[in-house]
This record gives sequence, structure tokens and C-alpha cells, in this order.
Amino acid sequence: MHVPDGFLGWTWPIYWIIAIIVLAYSLKWARENLDERNIPLLAVLAAGIFAIQAMNVPIPWGTSGHMVGAALIAIIFVSPWAAVLVLSIVLILQGLIFGDGGMTALGANIVNMGLIGGFVGFYGYKSIKGIGKVPAIFIAAWAATFLASIACAIELAIAGTFPLVAGVASMALYHAVIGVIEGVITVVVIMGIGRVRPDLLPEWVSSQKQEAVE
Amino acid sequence: MKTTDRNFIIGGLVIAIIIAILAPFLASSNPDGLESAAESLGVPEFDAVIQSPLPDYAIPGMEDNPWGGVVALIGGTVLVLLVVLGLAKVLAKKKGNNQE
Repeated sequence: MHVPDGFLGWTWPIYWIIAIIVLAYSLKWARENLDERNIPLLAVLAAGIFAIQAMNVPIPWGTSGHMVGAALIAIIFVSPWAAVLVLSIVLILQGLIFGDGGMTALGANIVNMGLIGGFVGFYGYKSIKGIGKVPAIFIAAWAATFLASIACAIELAIAGTFPLVAGVASMALYHAVIGVIEGVITVVVIMGIGRVRPDLLPEWVSSQKQEAVE
Repeated sequence: MKTTDRNFIIGGLVIAIIIAILAPFLASSNPDGLESAAESLGVPEFDAVIQSPLPDYAIPGMEDNPWGGVVALIGGTVLVLLVVLGLAKVLAKKKGNNQE
């Protein structure tokens, strides 16, 4: 759901301002929480997210979609600000070097995929982790992609690019399916890290390893 | 850096690079959710404001060659890793107790 240049009309600076503010919060999070122990994990996950965002999976209606990764980062680092940081770096490099997402739309892309994706992933998981860690991770990651796409559709409606109802309906339909990709990969990656380096996982997902094996 | 952490970075990077190698061959070239929505709603395409050096993860002049995409994606993957490692190290150091 990388918004290209032009789609936001005159509204793009609004999202740039929000993005700069939340990026400042994410840098504050990094200063307070990053250390020798978790920096390798953050860097490897960011690189993996960049690569997997190029892996578009076909969905019905002649459409495709890819993982975003914000929920994964927010759950593993127990903070939505970690997701804002990683997605901002990925989106800045994608926009500058690869023309994926417009540079005027960078603010909106950080707001949708980093901020909304990160917060929905984090608070989604936090609120439903009682139902079992694997289903909670799946649903939180699905909701992160789904709600980010709804926000994106609303922003494009405010800009006058999309009609509100048809735009939201269309984005919701596609991203309800794309969210399944997000959910599955997020579960697989967290289980995978739990196998090789359980010490890197936070307490609120770490016992998920045993459940997954059964 | 501890050996286990170095191995973890190498292992993770290998997985990311495998994805980067496979993506230009396996990834669907269908429009993504937003592009499909824009198409069906009759939204025109706009030009990018800034011309990026490797648009659409392709090397200019070899857009039809998937190996160009492989090179672009591996470069991007390694770059993201280095940027995050570098930025995180700078930021994490600031939190230390000013012993330098």
C-alpha cells in the first residue's frame, strides 16, 4: 500500500509533520532501549522486511500484496515505536532509491505502515494475547495491515483521490486477504526466532514456542 | 560483538538475501491492493516527484532481466542492514554513561 506521489494532492505535508513527530519518538525509544543484545535482531529484521516487501504474493481479483512487517517488529520489541523506526528506515530507502512510494507520500506511508501498523500490532497483541499466543499474533498482524489500508483509503478520500465508500470497500477487500499473508509470516518468523534464539524474544511471546510445537 | 550474535546476523542476512534472489522470479507482477483500487476507481497515474536511481527495483537498461532486480534487491537488503546497525549503534551509545 505504498502511496505514490500525486495521490495525496495538497494534503501530503500533514502526514510529513505527523511522521517527523513520531520519528522523533521512535528515536527516543531507540536511545532508551537499544543495546548490544537487541541491535543485531533489529537490523536483521529490518533487512528481512525490506526483502520480503518485494515478494508480492498473488491474491484473487488480479491483485497482489506483500507483508509490511510493523506488527512483527512491535511485538518482538514490545513497542510500537520500534516499528515506526524500522518501517521509516525501510520506507525512506525504498522511496529514495527504488521509487517505491512517492517522496511526497513518504509521510503518509510512515503514518500508515509504521505508526498505524505498529500500534495496531502492539495493542492488538496486547489485548488478545490471552486467547493463545499464535492466534493472537496472527490476528494482531492481520489487523495491522487491514487497518493501515483503511486509514490509507480515508486519507486518499480526504485528498479527493478516492471516493470514500468505494475506496474503503476496495482497500478493505484486498487487504483483508493481504493481511492473511502478514499474519502467517509474522507467526512463522516469531516461531523461527523462538527455535534458534529464544533468548532474543520478549517474555510475552517466548512461551509460544512450546505451543507451536504441539 | 559476540559470536552467537554475529552468526545470528549472518544467518538472518542469508535468509533475507535468499528472499531477495527469489523475489524477482517468484513475486507476482499483478498490481498491489492500492494500485488495483486506484485502477478500478479510475485514478490516473502520476509521475514521481524525485527520479529514483533504481525505479521498481530494476537497474536502468535491464528492466526485463530479473537478475538486475536480484542485484538491486540484494544491494537494498544489505544497505538496510548497515543503516540500521549504524544508526542503532550511534543511538545506543548515547544512552551509555559518558565514559568516552
